[in-house]
Amino acid sequence: MAELVIENVEKEYPTRGEPLKVLRGVSLSLQAGQNAAILGPSGSGKSTLLHIAGALETPTSGRLELNGCDPFALSEPELAQFRNENIGFIFQDHHLLPQLSVLENVLIPSLASGSPSSETIDRAGDLLKRVGLSQRVDHRPAELSGGERQRVAVARALLLAPSLLLADEPTGSLDRRTAHEVSELLLRLQKEENNILLVVTHSLELADAMQARHEINDGLLSQITSS
Amino acid sequence: MSFWRLVLTSLIHYRRLNATVAMGAAAATAVLTGALLVGDSVRGSLTAITFDRLGRIDQALVTDRFFRTELANELASGAEFKQDFSEAQAAILFPNATIEIQRDGQVSRSANVLLVGTSSDFWNFDTAGVKPSRTIAGEEIVLNRQLASQWDGQAGQTVIIRLPRPTAIPADSTYGRKTDNVLSIPDVEIVDIVPNRGLGRFSLHPSQTQPLVAFVPIELLQKSLGRAGRANAILVAGKDENSWRNPEAADTLNGAIKPTLDDYAFEIQHVQRQFQDKTILDYYSFESDRMLLSHDAESVGAAAFNPMGGRALFTYFVNWIGAEGGEDAIPYSMVTAVQGPALNLLELSGKSGESLKPGEIVLTNWAAKDQQVKVGATIDLTYFLPETSHGVAKEASARFQLVGVAPLTEPVEPYDGDTPAIYESSPTPLNDPELTPLVEGITDKDSIANLDVPFPFDIDLLRDQDDVFWRNHRTTPKAYVSLADGQKMWGSRFGRATSFRIPHREGLSEDSIARAFLQELRKQQKSLGMEFQAVKFRGAKASSGTTPFDGLFLALSMFIICAALMLVSLLFRLGVEQRLSELGVLLAVGFRRKRAARAFVAEGLLVASIGGVIGVVLGVAYAWLMLVGLRTVWVDAVATPFLELHWSGRSLAIGFAAGIATSLLTIMWGIRESARSSIYQLLAGQITLGDARARSANRWRIVAAVLFVSAIALAILAVGLSGEAQAGCFVGTGAAVLSALLILAWTHLRFGGNSNTKLSLFGLATRNAGRNPSRSTTTIGLMAVASFLIISMSAFRLAPSLDGAAGFELSALSSQPIFEDLNEPAAQQDLLADSADVLKDGQVLAFRLKPGDDASCRNLYQATAPQVLGVSDSTIEYFDTAESNFVFAASGGESEEAKKNPWRLLRSPAESDGVIPVILDKNTAMYSLHLLGGIGETFEATYDGYGNVKFEVVGLLSNSVLQGRLLIGEDTFKTTFPDVAGYRYFLIHSTRPMAETAAAMEDRLGDQGFDTQSTVATIEGLLAVQNTYLSTFQALGSLGLLLGTFGLAAVQLRSVFERRGELALMRASGFRRSRVAWMVMYENASLLAAGLLLGTIGAVVAIAPHIIATGASVPWPYLLGVLVIVFVVGLTSSISSIRATLKAPVIAALRGE
Repeated sequence: MAELVIENVEKEYPTRGEPLKVLRGVSLSLQAGQNAAILGPSGSGKSTLLHIAGALETPTSGRLELNGCDPFALSEPELAQFRNENIGFIFQDHHLLPQLSVLENVLIPSLASGSPSSETIDRAGDLLKRVGLSQRVDHRPAELSGGERQRVAVARALLLAPSLLLADEPTGSLDRRTAHEVSELLLRLQKEENNILLVVTHSLELADAMQARHEINDGLLSQITSS
Repeated sequence: MSFWRLVLTSLIHYRRLNATVAMGAAAATAVLTGALLVGDSVRGSLTAITFDRLGRIDQALVTDRFFRTELANELASGAEFKQDFSEAQAAILFPNATIEIQRDGQVSRSANVLLVGTSSDFWNFDTAGVKPSRTIAGEEIVLNRQLASQWDGQAGQTVIIRLPRPTAIPADSTYGRKTDNVLSIPDVEIVDIVPNRGLGRFSLHPSQTQPLVAFVPIELLQKSLGRAGRANAILVAGKDENSWRNPEAADTLNGAIKPTLDDYAFEIQHVQRQFQDKTILDYYSFESDRMLLSHDAESVGAAAFNPMGGRALFTYFVNWIGAEGGEDAIPYSMVTAVQGPALNLLELSGKSGESLKPGEIVLTNWAAKDQQVKVGATIDLTYFLPETSHGVAKEASARFQLVGVAPLTEPVEPYDGDTPAIYESSPTPLNDPELTPLVEGITDKDSIANLDVPFPFDIDLLRDQDDVFWRNHRTTPKAYVSLADGQKMWGSRFGRATSFRIPHREGLSEDSIARAFLQELRKQQKSLGMEFQAVKFRGAKASSGTTPFDGLFLALSMFIICAALMLVSLLFRLGVEQRLSELGVLLAVGFRRKRAARAFVAEGLLVASIGGVIGVVLGVAYAWLMLVGLRTVWVDAVATPFLELHWSGRSLAIGFAAGIATSLLTIMWGIRESARSSIYQLLAGQITLGDARARSANRWRIVAAVLFVSAIALAILAVGLSGEAQAGCFVGTGAAVLSALLILAWTHLRFGGNSNTKLSLFGLATRNAGRNPSRSTTTIGLMAVASFLIISMSAFRLAPSLDGAAGFELSALSSQPIFEDLNEPAAQQDLLADSADVLKDGQVLAFRLKPGDDASCRNLYQATAPQVLGVSDSTIEYFDTAESNFVFAASGGESEEAKKNPWRLLRSPAESDGVIPVILDKNTAMYSLHLLGGIGETFEATYDGYGNVKFEVVGLLSNSVLQGRLLIGEDTFKTTFPDVAGYRYFLIHSTRPMAETAAAMEDRLGDQGFDTQSTVATIEGLLAVQNTYLSTFQALGSLGLLLGTFGLAAVQLRSVFERRGELALMRASGFRRSRVAWMVMYENASLLAAGLLLGTIGAVVAIAPHIIATGASVPWPYLLGVLVIVFVVGLTSSISSIRATLKAPVIAALRGE
């Protein structure tokens, strides 16, 4: 069963003067089917925590385990494979490749170590259907609205059925109505896929919809609510 | 969806940017391909000239003998010949004829003309459609355009042909004639002028310059030379146009040709004399029309005739035979040196023993009686040394012990014309004038007083009895010595025997003796000069050239290639920077870094390939442009405008592949930094800038300091060097300074300078340049390095001076050898008559010349047998005390004497393994002969008829008038090239005006084809090659610099795009459009100016000491012009970025759209 364990994680950045401490002993644990929002002011370290959770960035100290595996103990190729198989990312700026169609964008993760199988292509089609874009598979990102682009990004993140879904301000650049739709979609799909969802957001509406809400302040994480 | 689908869609999506990258790759490929095609064109054009000048002639036999013309027909009728060859023609070739025309009291002449005596069939060999308008006969001549244009020769005019008179006896020999050795053929009418192509430029020697050629009927030369039915060359055409490719073809011909003894100019005489019924003499004498048997002929003869009992003899004309202390010695006698028991001398003298030992002499009873000596007496022989020095015969003596007196019978009736003397009592075997070979002027004279000899002969010394002896015995020897003594006294490079004496026996005949000799000749694989050479094969091989022009033009085009690659790198990186988040996404979803980078590299590969295809096409155009340059403004680099565009699939393929490879490597290097950045930075569109800590800046500053120290060390080292090595060191100093300055510029941009400076628009612009230090430093670096090299290369521009000719203002080459010492007043008076004054208080250095390939940098063909000059002892001694000497770049002298005068190194005799010390020009060594080892390096050259000659470099001259030639000591010259007589190359210093001296000497020595040239003009022509390459380098470098400005424009455009938000903010906060535009312009100008300034500083540091020390001229106006043009073009190219700034909509930019 999927489990994310973040234990006493600290992160410092070197500067010309004293090192800048961004995270000061952050701990968090989530299991499959659980979701949580991280709130906090700008520069508080919430994105850094998300990057560490996604094994994009190495902590200065502390422990991270996903499904019992410490990704930072892996070599670079192993880590890439680990991320490919276990983690899905959704970014505020969706980061779709403008040269590819919607379907191709969703299939991108399957190219990490070869070509997509027919099952993967079927799953991409299924995901697009589930995010309501089955009619737009051949469209280019430039032809989509902001909300549609973010839906594609969600489908892309779920393609390889990751056990951990990380979203960095997934609704940050959307209008309120679209943000609401995307939030609902994200939670619905998380439930359907039964994975762990960790969202960094300024949106209280999105945060309220999550099972747990944490706030990060001056590098320290505190739980606000849990349902 | 697949990896390649991702790559292809990206390629198409970013087509505009990719198109610009492809154009950069195309530029790099074009230059690479173009350079290779220039190499192809040089080789192709040289090969084309070879085929053009030889037509169908594949093989040629050229010898210094005159053989029967039937020999060519006999060769052509053989089955072996017919298998591979189609035609053989006999011809007479004179490579050093002089053609003279007299018009209106004015004499014009051309020396060193190739005179070709042929039949009209010769033109069948032509493949270019060149043929005289009609068949020539009698006293008619056809000239090639090059020759006719020298003095505006026209059909209908008459000319005088001057030729070296063929002499059997070498002119350097005491017996050889030194005067009246020019044969003139007057009133020869020009009937046609043929163009300078096809056989109109016929020559057996590879050179891209147009030869001077004249054609006459072979019969005219045969008649004038008194050699009816004779020729000295055979020209052979192959069966088809590819026959020349067979390297064995010459061997086939050498096996097929069957010269007779007559063709080799040998003669076998059956000497028989009987008295009553008694046989006195019955032997065969094997002789040469050259008086002496060459060393090869002697060795073949010994092997062939010794088994038959044949023995070598050496008969010599001595000045005196006298008893020790005696006053009345015998003048002018023949003495024969005898091998072994030949002639039975001791038996005839009534002595025991087989043969004469060294130091022993046998006199005839006539001589013993004349000198009143008996056995045991000491006899002195006085004779001229076998070789003359500057035409002067030198006397020497040797002392012998008389061991026997041999009888000579006096006739009752002397010789009378061709009627032999009449004897009453039996003559002895020593009554044999045939012991002396036939020598014109001696053996054909009835009286000794009538001798016509080329050495000092004082008729007053003759006594009555001497003339009586001559009348009774003619050339019968008066004394005999051992062959060993004879060869010691009279042996020379020309030979060591005059004949073989083979006693007659049953079954022996002239034919069997000739067969034995010819068989032995083949067995020993000696050709005696009758050897075919694969002239077309050799010419084609030499067409590979001395200079690898592809490599040269690659180097010359280096800056265009660098600029194009930097453009590729900049543009591709700009593209990648636009797509950093794409790279971040790929990494975030689990792509390995290598695989993600591979997607970009694959896209780059496709872009580079498209650029490569376009580049190959552009490369052909680039090569064409370079060839236009080499035919016009850069023609001095190749001497003559002969280059045509040639291409090979191989060069196109290599250019294509190299263009793609270099572009791809540049692209890979360009994305390396991006691929190293962290994923979240990439997602944010940022690139890791590395370690920001101060110690990193300090590290780079230490590197800069080390470079400055290295620069100082190099400058100190340079003080101890000279010439180009010193200039090279100074350029190294400048390069180190430049590198240090660039590092400091980068650290300033990267780590920040003084941020407390007062903020101004210009200050803001320069600070903006520091936002992307790598990008800005690349731009500055491109400008700096290009301007540095363009300026610093000027230091290598060389100006001609008399230093390259040791102060001698004139050099001269004569068609015919001159034997006299032109420093001797008597010789000056004799040769120059009333113009002798031009050499008064002057100096002439005379050199022996073995003709060969011009190995100077003006001949593009590979020199396989360079011209050789023999440096006399007097020349070497002249440089002991001369005020000015040639400039030596290096010499191997260890002794004080040799260090002071490196020419002394040529006095060392050839080593036991035959290695000859040689001095040559450094450029000849490096560029023509590819001798990069310097002093002590050995190399071989093959000379027709002389085989392989091995040389060892003992001295290297710097930028001398002697470039293209090998200089060896005269003694080794004479033994290496024994047939080459006299002096043909001269260096002349005169106190009179140069033009007057040149005119006087050319006029007075016109018969010898004396052709003078200003040494400074010659050196200028030689240095023009190097100077032209520098100009080419600078011109192409400037082109690369201009290309670099487009990179600058691209950087600016990208920079404006990245900062569109803040530029919009400036405008929103009240900046006028023009003010923002000025800021962008300042930024561009600061990068440009910094690049040009740093490059100029480095260059000035590099060249200043060299210019101060040598006074080398730098084309400052040209260089300043280049820098100004680059600055202006650079600013102009930034207009695109300024326009983009002015056009950007403020609100959209503020929104980041």
